[in-house]
Amino acid sequence: MREDATEEATSEVVRLGTPAKAWRVVVVLGLTVLFCLGSLVGNDHWWPFSPWRMYSTSQAATGSVWSTGIEVQTADAPGQWVPAPLTPPNVGLNRAEIEGRIPQIEADPSRLGTLAASHAELRPDAPAWTALRVVRRLIVVVDRKPTGEVRTEVLAEWRAP
Amino acid sequence: MSRLRDWLFTPMPLARVAWLRILVFLFVIIDVLGLHTSGWYHGWADPVWYEPLVMGKVLHLPAASVLLVQTLKWGTVLAALAALTGRAPRLLGWAVAVGWIWYQYVAFSYGKVDHDRADFVVALALLPTVGLAHVSDQKRSEAAGFALRAVQLAAIATYFLSAWAKIRFGGWDWVNSATMVRAVVRRGTPWAQWLLEVPWTLHWFQWVLFTAELTAPVIFFLSEKWRRRVVGAWFVFHAMTYAAITIAFWPHLVMMLAFLPLEQYAAWLRERFARWRSRGEASVPEEART
Repeated sequence: MREDATEEATSEVVRLGTPAKAWRVVVVLGLTVLFCLGSLVGNDHWWPFSPWRMYSTSQAATGSVWSTGIEVQTADAPGQWVPAPLTPPNVGLNRAEIEGRIPQIEADPSRLGTLAASHAELRPDAPAWTALRVVRRLIVVVDRKPTGEVRTEVLAEWRAP
Repeated sequence: MSRLRDWLFTPMPLARVAWLRILVFLFVIIDVLGLHTSGWYHGWADPVWYEPLVMGKVLHLPAASVLLVQTLKWGTVLAALAALTGRAPRLLGWAVAVGWIWYQYVAFSYGKVDHDRADFVVALALLPTVGLAHVSDQKRSEAAGFALRAVQLAAIATYFLSAWAKIRFGGWDWVNSATMVRAVVRRGTPWAQWLLEVPWTLHWFQWVLFTAELTAPVIFFLSEKWRRRVVGAWFVFHAMTYAAITIAFWPHLVMMLAFLPLEQYAAWLRERFARWRSRGEASVPEEART
């Protein structure tokens, strides 16, 4: 008996009432307006209605591609700068988050001390950082091809007090 | 107008929604635990780096703390596990939505917003509106049709609006810029390096990608057969991107599944599995006969 019932049910359609349809239409229209407005005039702060701008910037065919990293010193080897991973498991923040705050970091390099503190909490067994600096590597590109030339500059530096 | 409404509420199988929900909730668990963990580590970042988004200002969301990220991470995983049972679909579904969205907020409010995860919000928010749906429910429903259509629309809007963003932020010159070169220089895999040696490849690829994104909405006007082919082509594109620069828009890939007859695939798999099992149990003389 039951099996017959399911067989019959295959063509069954469950309809929605007018109010149920009405609010769904309103929701879709609302979402459409927010997503379109976000793409038209919004910015990242509008998330989840921010513009979908992955890889949307134009890169000049000839110029330089830059990449930011950090270098640190530990008490074991004072005076020696060693590159450290600029990753969330290591410092709580990722590369893009640091790249976006370069002006603030340059204005107040003591901010970099918080990265050393986060590192100490996240990696308690690793040697503590006594100094940290942000470096930017410029990779020169000519006619869409990297030339192999790399320039490095130091943007900001912090030392443990 | 009424044709548009009929299209928005085209009855679709409840079983399809049930399967899509299972995939969505499984994805949430994988995502929170392993794929996207920058929010988790923000619990240890100094609040000086916190930069509230509009959503955080409106809702007065605090900077991350270890307690907050622990609560969000495990709360979302537990809610998703509970939602996988299919019970209380609205309550549990929306609990997952709140947890996942807040966890993304924590990830994005430290200066870097990922631009590929917003459409998933639509899936999490609207799939619960269907109410109870069982994986073997043969009924079709307008509520199911609406939820699937909304997910499809959001997924396709992602492509179209990202083409729009390229025009807005990169200008019409985007297609002739060295954006892909930059991507491969910064994060290219070993098997993508040859692309830099043959510069026209990436240049040409930008034209193809931009055209495909701008014309993505055409998918809704295609026959069912071609619609599935186009979805397949998008999956190939995403696989190639992953191979070249290890970037995949994971939540978006789950959303694209809303175009596929998931309940039919599940039935096919179940049948194969049953046949494989019965073969395993078959006695030797029977096998000798065949």
